[in-house]
Amino acid sequence: MSTPVLEARDVSMVFGGLKALKGVTLTLDEGKIVGLIGPNGAGKTTFFNCLTGLYTPTTGQVLLKGNVLPGDPAQVTDAGVARTFQNIRLFPSMTVLENVMVGRHVRMKQGPLASLFHGPAYHRGEKAARERSRELLAFVGLNNLDDELSRNLPYGDQRRLEIARALATDPAVLLLDEPTAGMNPQETEATQQLIFRIRETGVSVVVIEHDIKFIFGLCDSVSVLVQGELLVEGSPDVVRADPRVVEAYLGKPPEEVQHEVDAAAASAEEEQA
Amino acid sequence: MSTSTVSTPATTTPVEKRSALAPLGKPFAAAGGVLGIVAALLPWVTFSLNDGNWPDKSTLQFFDAPFAVTGFRWHVLLLGVLILVAAFAPTPSKGRVVRALGWGLTLVSFVNVAYITVKGGGLGAITALDGATAFGGIVGLVAGVLAILAGYGIGIEPVGEWKFKVSTPVAYLVLLVSFAAVLYAVAAMLTTGGVGTSNPYSGAIFLSFLGFAAGVLGALSGVGFIRWLSALSEQHRVFSVIVLAACALLLPFTEAGNEYWMTVAANIGIYAATAIGLNIVVGLAGLLDLGYVAFMGIGALVAANFSGAATAHFGITLPFPVAAAAAAIVAGIFGAIVGSPTLRVRGDYLAIVTLAFGEIFTRSAQNNIGGITNGSNAIPGIPPLSLFGNEFNKSITLGAVKLPAGVLYYILIVLLVAATMAVFANLKFSRIGRAWIAIREDEDAARAMGIRTGKMKILAFLIGATLAGLAGAVFAHKNGTVSYESFKFLESVTLLAAVILGGMGSIPGAVLGAALLFVLPEKLRDFEDYRLMIFGLALILIMRFRPVGLIPDAHRRAEMIERADENAEEAHVEAKKA
Repeated sequence: MSTPVLEARDVSMVFGGLKALKGVTLTLDEGKIVGLIGPNGAGKTTFFNCLTGLYTPTTGQVLLKGNVLPGDPAQVTDAGVARTFQNIRLFPSMTVLENVMVGRHVRMKQGPLASLFHGPAYHRGEKAARERSRELLAFVGLNNLDDELSRNLPYGDQRRLEIARALATDPAVLLLDEPTAGMNPQETEATQQLIFRIRETGVSVVVIEHDIKFIFGLCDSVSVLVQGELLVEGSPDVVRADPRVVEAYLGKPPEEVQHEVDAAAASAEEEQA
Repeated sequence: MSTSTVSTPATTTPVEKRSALAPLGKPFAAAGGVLGIVAALLPWVTFSLNDGNWPDKSTLQFFDAPFAVTGFRWHVLLLGVLILVAAFAPTPSKGRVVRALGWGLTLVSFVNVAYITVKGGGLGAITALDGATAFGGIVGLVAGVLAILAGYGIGIEPVGEWKFKVSTPVAYLVLLVSFAAVLYAVAAMLTTGGVGTSNPYSGAIFLSFLGFAAGVLGALSGVGFIRWLSALSEQHRVFSVIVLAACALLLPFTEAGNEYWMTVAANIGIYAATAIGLNIVVGLAGLLDLGYVAFMGIGALVAANFSGAATAHFGITLPFPVAAAAAAIVAGIFGAIVGSPTLRVRGDYLAIVTLAFGEIFTRSAQNNIGGITNGSNAIPGIPPLSLFGNEFNKSITLGAVKLPAGVLYYILIVLLVAATMAVFANLKFSRIGRAWIAIREDEDAARAMGIRTGKMKILAFLIGATLAGLAGAVFAHKNGTVSYESFKFLESVTLLAAVILGGMGSIPGAVLGAALLFVLPEKLRDFEDYRLMIFGLALILIMRFRPVGLIPDAHRRAEMIERADENAEEAHVEAKKA
C-alpha cells in the first residue's frame, strides 16, 4: 500500500494535568475524506491544532507523505496542510479577493525588492495570484464579490470564502473545522457537494463535524474521538452500528446504568462487611 | 448624478429631534443663508482695537464700502450664498451639506466674535458703543446655528453617491483643477494671517480661515464630491501622483514662496515622511510603536557625525547621499533589533517595549554614551547641503525668477516625501503588504495561511526605521544642529497622533496629520500658555467625531460608513416599531 498522505502517529497532548489527547492515531489516504466526530470536549480541535502545528504534540508525530511536519503553522501550511477555523477567522476589513490572495502568500515568489519596485515580475506574479484567486472564488461559488469587504458577507459565504482562502495555499490536505456549523439544510447540502468537488481536484480532506448525518453521507471513513481517545474508526456503516458510539453520544441505556449502580453498591457493601 | 441616494429615509439623528425640526428645515435654511449674507455686509467691530483695526475693513468707522467684501467677510458671504444654493437646488444629501456649511459659518463667526470681544475688552466691541452698532458677528452666529438646525430639519441622509462616469480627458481636467485648488488652499492656509507676529490678528485670521475651509470641505464631502474624486484619482493613479507632485513643487511660486514658509513646509515634510514610515508599522502591520522618533534620531546622529561638523565624532566627511544611506541602514538595523521582541510580545506589551527603547535612546544620547551625541551640547554647525555650489539654505535665481531661500531644501523634502509615499503604496499593494494587513487583522489566521509572522513583523520595523533614518539625515542638515532634545517621547506621541489623526494606513492622511500637528501649534501662538491645551482639546474633538481619521484608508472608511448606515437602518426600524 502506498504511503498515506497524512498520518498522525500516537499523538498525545497534555496541558498541565489535563490529558487532552491520548495516543490518537489517524491515517488519511490520498483522495479520501475522513470525518472526525465526537462529543464536545473530546479533543477534536486540539487534534486539529496538533495536525497544523499550532500545538506541538507532547508525544507522537504527524507525517505528511512520510515526512514529519514541522512544529510551526506557517511551515505546515507551506508543506501542504491548510485549514479553516471553527469560528470563522477571515481578515474582516480586507476584501474578498484580498483574503484569498493572502492564501496565495506561500506560493508566491515575490520578495521585498519586487514588492518595493513593482517590476515586471511583480506584475506577472500579482496577475497570476489574482487569476488563481478568482478561479477559486468561482469554484466555491462566490462570483462578483471581489471588492466586497469580507466582514459584510453573509454567514454561509464567509464559510465558503474561508475554504477558498485555504485552497489558495495549494494544499495536499484540507482540514475543515465544523464547516456547516450554523447552516440550514440547503447550505449543508451545498457544502457537501463542495467538499466532494474539492476531493475531485485531488485534495484529501479531514472534516470535524457535529452533524452526524452530514458526516455519514460525506466521508469514506469516520473516526470517533471520546475524551481524547480514539474510540472507533471505520467506514460510516461500521461506525454507525457500533454501540460504543451511541453510548458516547447518548449515554448508556437506563437498565445498564441501573445494573452498574447495583454492582457498585454490592461491591461497596462487600468491602464494608 | 444619482438620485438613488434618497432611497431610504434613514437618518442618524434621533427621530424625535427630526420630527420637531422637519417642517422648519427649509425656512431655517433660508433664514440662515440670508442672515449669513447680511452678516457679511454689516460691520463687525464698533471701534478700533488697541492692536490696530480688525481686518477686512470690518471696523465701523472704516466701514466705507459694505459691498467690497474681502477676507473673512468674503467667506461669510460665500457660506451664506452656498447655504441658499444647497437648500433650494436639487442637492444630494442636502441636510449634510447645509449642516456642514452651517458649522463653517458658526466657526468663522465664533472665532471673529471671540477674538474681538477678548481683544476689545467686552461685548461692547461687537454690539454698540456710543450709539454706533456693529451686529455683524451676532448675525453671523445666529445664521450659522440656524443653518445647522436646518440641516437636521432637512434630515441627515447617507453621503451622496455619484455614479456618472467621465471620459479620460475630462477626468484629467477635473483632477488637475481639483489639485490646483488644493495647492491654492494649502498656500492660502499657510500664508493667511501673514508671517509670525507681523500681523497681530494672524491667529484669528488663520482660525477663521480654517473654519471656512472645514465648512466647505464638509459640504463637498457631504454632497459626495470627495468620494467621487478619490475614486477618480484611484482610477488614474499615475496621473494623480504626477499632478500632485507638480503642485507640491509649485508651492514656492505661490504666496507661500518665502523663506519662512519654505522652512515650515520643509519641516512638515520631514515629519510627514517619518509619519508615513510609522504608518507602515502602526497602520499596516498593526504594531504600536511608542519610541519611533528614536530611529529618526539615530539617522540624524549618523548623518551629523559624517557631515564634517566641528564636533563630529568621526573625522571623515561623507557626501550627503552616502551619509544618508548610512543613516538609513543604521536606523534600519536598530529597527530590526527593536522589532525582534515582537516575536514574543503582543499589543500593550509591545508598546511598553518600544516605549522603553525610545527612553533608552534619549537617555543615552543625553549622557553622551559612546561619545557620538555630544550630550546636551548637541552637534552644532552641520554644514548645509549644496548642489553645484548652490547652498540649499540660500536663495537661488533661475533665469528671471528669484526663488526664496530654503527652496532647495523644500524640493529635496518633497522628493523625500514622494519617495516614502511610493515605498508605502508599493508595499501596501504587494504580497508583503497583504501579509502585514493579515497580521493586523488576525495574527493566528495569518500564520495558518503560511505567513511567517515573526519575519514579517521585523521587516515592518526595519522598513519603518529605515525611512525614519533617512528623514533624520535630511533633518540634520536642514536644521544644522542635532540634539537629543528633538527626539523625545513627546515627538513619538505627536507622530503617532499624526498617523491616527490623518487615518491609519492612509498616505494623504499621514501628510495632512503631520501638517496639522506641526502647523497648528505655530498658528495658535496667540493663546500662549493655553495653546497646547487647545491643541489637545482639538485632538479629542476630532477623535470623537471622526474616529477613522481625517482621510481614512478606503477600506476602513467603507467599514465605518456601512456601520453608520446599519445603525441608521436599525434606528429607522425601531422607530417604525414604536
